[in-house]
Amino acid sequence: MTKKYLGQRITRNEDPRMLTGQALFVDDVEIPGMLHAAFLRSDYAHARILSIDVSAACNRPGVVAVYTAEDMGDFWKPGPLLVPAPRGIEGAFFHARTQIPMARDKVRHVGEPMAVVIGESRYLAEDALADIVVDLEPLEAVADLERALDPDAPLVHDDMESNLGSFVPQRKGDYEAAREQADLVIQRRIVIDRGAAAAMENRVLVAHWDAKSQEMTIWDTTQAPIPLRNGLAGMLGLAEHQVRVIAPFIGGAFGPKIMMFQPEEVLLPWATMKLNRPIKWIEDRRENFVATTQERGQIHDAESALTKDGHILGVKDVFLHDSGAYDPYGLTVPLNSQNHVMGCYDIPSYYSELKMVFTNKMIVTPVRGAGRPQGIFVIERLLDIAAKELDIDRAELRRRNNLQPDAFPHNHKIIDQAFAEFVIDSGNYPATLARALDMIEYEKFIKEEQPALRAEGRHVGIGVVAFIETTGVGPYEGARVTIEASGKVSVATGVGTQGQGHFTAFAQIVADQLGVDVRDVHVVTGDTAHFHWGTGTFASRGAVVAANAINAAAKGVRVKVLKLASKVLGAPEEELELADGMVRVADIPDQSIGLGELAVLANPMRGAVEPGSEPGLEATDYFGPQYGATANGTHAMILEVDVETMMVEIKRYVVVEDCGTIINPLILEGQVHGGVSLGIGNSYYEQLVYDDNGQLLNGSFMDYLIPRSTDMPPRIEIGHEVTPSPLNPLGTKGAGEAGAIPVPSLFAQAVEDALYDYDLEVLEMPLSPNRLFELCYQKGS
Amino acid sequence: MEIAGEYVFHGPREEVWDLVRDPDVLSTALPGAQKLEKVSDQEYVGDMNIRVGPVSGLFSGKLLVSNEVPPESYTLTVDGKGGPGFVKGTGDVQLVDQGDGTTLMKYEGDMQIGGTLASVGQRMLDTVSRSLIRQGLETLDKALQERVAARSEGREAKVEAPTETEFAAAVAKDMAGEALSSRWLWIAVVVVIAIVRGAVILTSGRGG
Repeated sequence: MTKKYLGQRITRNEDPRMLTGQALFVDDVEIPGMLHAAFLRSDYAHARILSIDVSAACNRPGVVAVYTAEDMGDFWKPGPLLVPAPRGIEGAFFHARTQIPMARDKVRHVGEPMAVVIGESRYLAEDALADIVVDLEPLEAVADLERALDPDAPLVHDDMESNLGSFVPQRKGDYEAAREQADLVIQRRIVIDRGAAAAMENRVLVAHWDAKSQEMTIWDTTQAPIPLRNGLAGMLGLAEHQVRVIAPFIGGAFGPKIMMFQPEEVLLPWATMKLNRPIKWIEDRRENFVATTQERGQIHDAESALTKDGHILGVKDVFLHDSGAYDPYGLTVPLNSQNHVMGCYDIPSYYSELKMVFTNKMIVTPVRGAGRPQGIFVIERLLDIAAKELDIDRAELRRRNNLQPDAFPHNHKIIDQAFAEFVIDSGNYPATLARALDMIEYEKFIKEEQPALRAEGRHVGIGVVAFIETTGVGPYEGARVTIEASGKVSVATGVGTQGQGHFTAFAQIVADQLGVDVRDVHVVTGDTAHFHWGTGTFASRGAVVAANAINAAAKGVRVKVLKLASKVLGAPEEELELADGMVRVADIPDQSIGLGELAVLANPMRGAVEPGSEPGLEATDYFGPQYGATANGTHAMILEVDVETMMVEIKRYVVVEDCGTIINPLILEGQVHGGVSLGIGNSYYEQLVYDDNGQLLNGSFMDYLIPRSTDMPPRIEIGHEVTPSPLNPLGTKGAGEAGAIPVPSLFAQAVEDALYDYDLEVLEMPLSPNRLFELCYQKGS
Repeated sequence: MEIAGEYVFHGPREEVWDLVRDPDVLSTALPGAQKLEKVSDQEYVGDMNIRVGPVSGLFSGKLLVSNEVPPESYTLTVDGKGGPGFVKGTGDVQLVDQGDGTTLMKYEGDMQIGGTLASVGQRMLDTVSRSLIRQGLETLDKALQERVAARSEGREAKVEAPTETEFAAAVAKDMAGEALSSRWLWIAVVVVIAIVRGAVILTSGRGG
């Protein structure tokens, strides 16, 4: 098999449609007779519902129905626990308290729905919201993580003894003994606040029950169409095949759209069956700020023990994780944090306590990075502080502690988000670090450029940090590949696409296996009518799990092609080659047959298909990795701080990443760019500010700052190291989240380096010009 | 949100006391007040249009007067709810006779703001609330002086409340003043335009 496309910078198959407005987004779905939903949401973070009077809203012309929890009868149920807690960790517990379709007795965060109005237009439905009279008894809310654990703190869930939702202690080796032997022990408190995923397209849904065909079609911006279909079918009492979930083109997701069975997602399908009319709901930006999901809030009390030559003997980390009002996504986020604290380093002993806390704030589920940025921030900050204390160069300290290329597979010996021991499959960390240092000209900058700039009174700093990312976790994905009579190839897989370039990357793999033009491979993702086995797009797993399933299915088709062509052409399989959409005898180009013609022969109108064989040139296959592949990388940047305004200008940004085999560098680099921009937002712009009463104080893009193109570095220089993963045939590792993960720790280091004369220690994220100013001046310069 | 301040009324303390306890006068001084009805000597209910930058809507609520020590001090509790959120707060008001025919009002309190008003209106809340309080107090002071003057001239006092447009324009002016001293000039300018335009639409819609 010649690899014509794998690893090539192929422009995207989907772009002509996207760029000319021919791509279907959920809001493009228009069905005659379609109604529109608007949700009445709580303004209170914590309140008891005394009564809800919807009579005036029902009487407003154009309103078709108004529903509250009372109207839902037995259908009203807390959502399923999407990710259970890992078992077998001694001393660990987890209390599941999942979200509810509509608040019934009390509201637990601002934005929680209390009623839904379904009307002839969204305009009418929103007007009718104002007619609903809700009598609420406000309760004291708890927004602060530490306050939530006070014995007298108000309880988010009345049936619990405290707001501690989960406790997970994990240990590797004997940290206390390591601490005894250490020459240096560093202890710090590290605080990381919440940010929004802020996808360009918010959540959008259309639910359409067709009573005559007894079929439900749901267009949904979900990252997990198949589990959503299966779950909704169960809830609605329908057979799975009666429900079709379509996740068409989606304007970004970044995590929150993996959160399934959100109230709106459950209510619309229920209501369309009651009303027998299609219903649309478009989440507006204000709703997105209070009623989707967010991430990042954690407080770490971290400690590291080192020898005087900078070798880490052990790390201890006790941290609080803000789960918001419910915990439907289990422990994925805080477990990732717990796992990533050991990063890409050889750490002999580790003790960690994870405490997940309920607060009266929006639910926390993964947002691009999913707990990993916090873990990486902790270890990288501890290393930076150690470097200063021990007077060892930052890069050198990392070099000394890096896991070596011969260390793999390396077992970090704690349980990870896939509930197995966290084993790193492969990598070359010293090479990645060295390459990044080389690209940013670290030595030259430190020795020559920086002293000269400082002499001019300028504050220009450099940063370099390393990270790992667990990616491509199971359980599995699947795909079906078919050669059609036209000679073109169709591929269907269950994962959804939210801008990752699947229509191209997946096509490249198939095109190589079958010797066809990459433009002749048509990929369908996220439509349960086309493929209905799979889990979803999350954990940077598309190019690992789905791509390998597609590769396996394409190989299956290749086997069928060779077998049939061998018969038709009268030549042994070994002498055949697949190229240019044909099968030909290698040495006799005239002796060939087109794939389309072969497909027709494989699916004859008359005659007999041989017993034991299948019609057509089609194969379905699956892939499930033994465990997740771990990607890694090093980021480096040079930035300048204007000490009068504390505005920051990133002058250079270097990324060296290793995600194993690269399918398409163009798409990979796009992922890295996007990730870095989110990371820059997490570092200096994007912070969700809540007051003590659980009110979000910056719930609009007027106040919540997304980095603009002018806040980005002029260029992101990318270098690729390639250490293929031994865990899958393609050798791929995920890259979807990688770009975002190390940026806050990098930013902190570079800012400290730039403000060398301010005695600054950054122990929190995000920063902002204001906050940086405070940090500089509260310590005194 | 904490609210605290002082204001000098040009009139004797007893007159000021009567004024701030008169719902008819008070409703003219509450910008955007649609009605204010006395339920009892201590309780008023009413509706009020609130506009903070891009957030606006009708609030219904009650005003509770407690800890009354005429004419020295009282406590005011506000509890309002509406489409854009809620406002809940308690404040202590003190009246000090300055001995020169003027009365010093000292007030301090804590407000809880929730919903869209908090999440979207936050940036403007401080300025807008300070501006509304200042204007309200100025209106009361005018009413006070008119009462004093009318009494000495032996005629009936005429109280003319400023229109909502006048209120909005004054808020815009206050915000522009702050904007000139801040880096967020452009945002403020946009907001000012929105407020003025909104207020014009609001009043013209009502035929005023």
